[in-house]
Amino acid sequence: MAAIEMRNIVKEYGDGFKAVNDVSLHVADGEFMILVGPSGCGKSTLLRMIVGLEDITSGDMVIGGDRVNDKAPRDRNLSMVFQNYALYPHLTVFENIAFPLRLMKGVGEDEIRRRVTEAASMLELTEHLDRKPANLSGGQRQRVAMGRAIVRNVNAFLFDEPLSNLDAKLRGQMRTEISRMQRRLGTTTVYVTHDQTEAMTLGDRVAVLRRGLLQQVASPRELYEQPVNMFVAGFIGSPPMNFLPAVVAGDRLRLPFLDVGLPDRATGKVTDGQLLIAGMRPDHFEDAGLLDPAKRDRGALFRAKVDVTEWLGDSQYAYIPFEAGEEVTRQLADLAAELDSEALRTQLIVKIDAMSRLRENHEAEFWADTARMHLFDPRTGANLTRDEAAAADLAHLEEEELRDRVDSPDAAPR
Amino acid sequence: MFWLAGAVLIIAYAVIPVIWIVSLSFKEGDDITNKSFLPTVWSWENYRTVFASDLFTTALRNSVGMSLIATTISVILATLAAYAISRLNFPGKRLVLGVALAITVFPVIAIATPLFNLWRTIGLYDTWLGLIIPYLSYSLPLSVYVLSAFFREIPWEMEQAAQVDGATNWQAFRRVIVPLAAPGVFTAAILTFFAVWNDFVFGITLTSSEAARPVPAALAFFQGASQFSQPTAPIAAAAVVVTIPVVVLVLLFQRKIVAGLTNGAVKG
Repeated sequence: MAAIEMRNIVKEYGDGFKAVNDVSLHVADGEFMILVGPSGCGKSTLLRMIVGLEDITSGDMVIGGDRVNDKAPRDRNLSMVFQNYALYPHLTVFENIAFPLRLMKGVGEDEIRRRVTEAASMLELTEHLDRKPANLSGGQRQRVAMGRAIVRNVNAFLFDEPLSNLDAKLRGQMRTEISRMQRRLGTTTVYVTHDQTEAMTLGDRVAVLRRGLLQQVASPRELYEQPVNMFVAGFIGSPPMNFLPAVVAGDRLRLPFLDVGLPDRATGKVTDGQLLIAGMRPDHFEDAGLLDPAKRDRGALFRAKVDVTEWLGDSQYAYIPFEAGEEVTRQLADLAAELDSEALRTQLIVKIDAMSRLRENHEAEFWADTARMHLFDPRTGANLTRDEAAAADLAHLEEEELRDRVDSPDAAPR
Repeated sequence: MFWLAGAVLIIAYAVIPVIWIVSLSFKEGDDITNKSFLPTVWSWENYRTVFASDLFTTALRNSVGMSLIATTISVILATLAAYAISRLNFPGKRLVLGVALAITVFPVIAIATPLFNLWRTIGLYDTWLGLIIPYLSYSLPLSVYVLSAFFREIPWEMEQAAQVDGATNWQAFRRVIVPLAAPGVFTAAILTFFAVWNDFVFGITLTSSEAARPVPAALAFFQGASQFSQPTAPIAAAAVVVTIPVVVLVLLFQRKIVAGLTNGAVKG
């Protein structure tokens, strides 16, 4: 086990394109770090630079205190799970898992058998050890790939979108399985995904990348509650954060449907009449009729006509279309394109109680938790209302949790 | 009905000459002029004649020896070359493949005479090596072509996974890539073996004695049981004998060849 330190890592291709641009990232010993971002953001390239399958143009890659820039992959003592698993089709499951051990000098046959059996039982592969990968299901293949990764004592595990080839149900199960395994072994892990659910649920910390640039590295909670910019805010969370045009009018802020006081943190950063973008998460809304009265004063009430509702059993989404100015529409379309989605229309998505009986194409009264609203500068995308103190608190909590886990005897390695 | 008739026609077209040769090889003495398809008396006489003649047995030894040597060298070199072509980026890569393709379509007869003169000058004429070299130069490009198509289909990740697992380039090649390419290697080996085994042009032009003459060429020098009888029947028997290894190989490796040929062809 070891910490991974990246200092000003750059990957520049022959045509001058920088796939990874000046990324500095510290992955602590035992930490589960997620690299996330839309396709083409450089997350996989960065992972491949850690493992040594991709050359580093400039910067330092330090694993466990050693600079490994010029070391071959086999000398870095890392293990990796590939997106397509890259199992060896001509070998049985047992031999697939044993493969790294067979390449090591001085590991006896008994030792190999013991370690493979142990890894297989941890992953519930014992009864499949004699089969070939071609005869396994997708989930079993995925577990074989993990078995091959955990059978050695490595400095770190690297995962390259390991769950993207599985169906949704299996993905959920394997996600838990990976998390449990990492907690149990306590091995430093770097995990690449474009799926924000995986990012939120698995990671101690999440590094959000955009076009090769690191946007924010923080705990899932901090990313969700205190994003540094519109990109992070829009990427994290599903359904995504709602972005609404907001015009500054003195100490008030005029939004579609709403008129609220300008948040304290934004005062001084904005000028009168300026157009801003307000970000509000779907779960910061509620059907006014079902609202906990204690909450009422914290937010604001508004009436709006619901276009479509989606009832999911445990919750309910309502879609409320609104008109936005040209500038905001264009800004939102650009952001959507970058997030690999399509901006179909400007609409507000609100998550309300499943008990709510509001009807499509009727007006209803909603409550918005305006205290938790963020304001973004439409040109730079910067978050004008990020609460640094709250963010620092969250970061501190995360650090404590990690230290607690790494130091506790339960998490001791095998 | 139409298809059945067509199928019967094509099968007859392909098989009748073969059966005819087999039937001829069993005809005794003057029986070949019996004006019927089958021999009047089935006899092993021609086979005895063939195996009793030094001409045939040494030629058979030459053929087997040279075919095996040429095939082995060709497949080993082609595996390494095809791996380099499919995996590495080096200047002139396309040129190598282009030249390889050009060589396979180059008419054999055109270089037979120049080689004859060259080999006589440098002393390779009528030796095994003198035949193995031209065999290699024709079979290597073909093998490289077949194998590089195979290697291209093996995902890069296989090797990368092996490297991360602690393998050197050589270990990754030998323990992962070669086993995966085995059907391709088989295909290349069998194609090479057939090509060399069936060669006539080099065999007849570059040899003058039993020292290196392969079977197809030796058949042309065959004599009958007596000076006055046409050697047709013994030649038929010899032809049957040299066909047997090819048929056995095909039957043994049929499934691998089919898998190999289509594997290389379907996905590019």
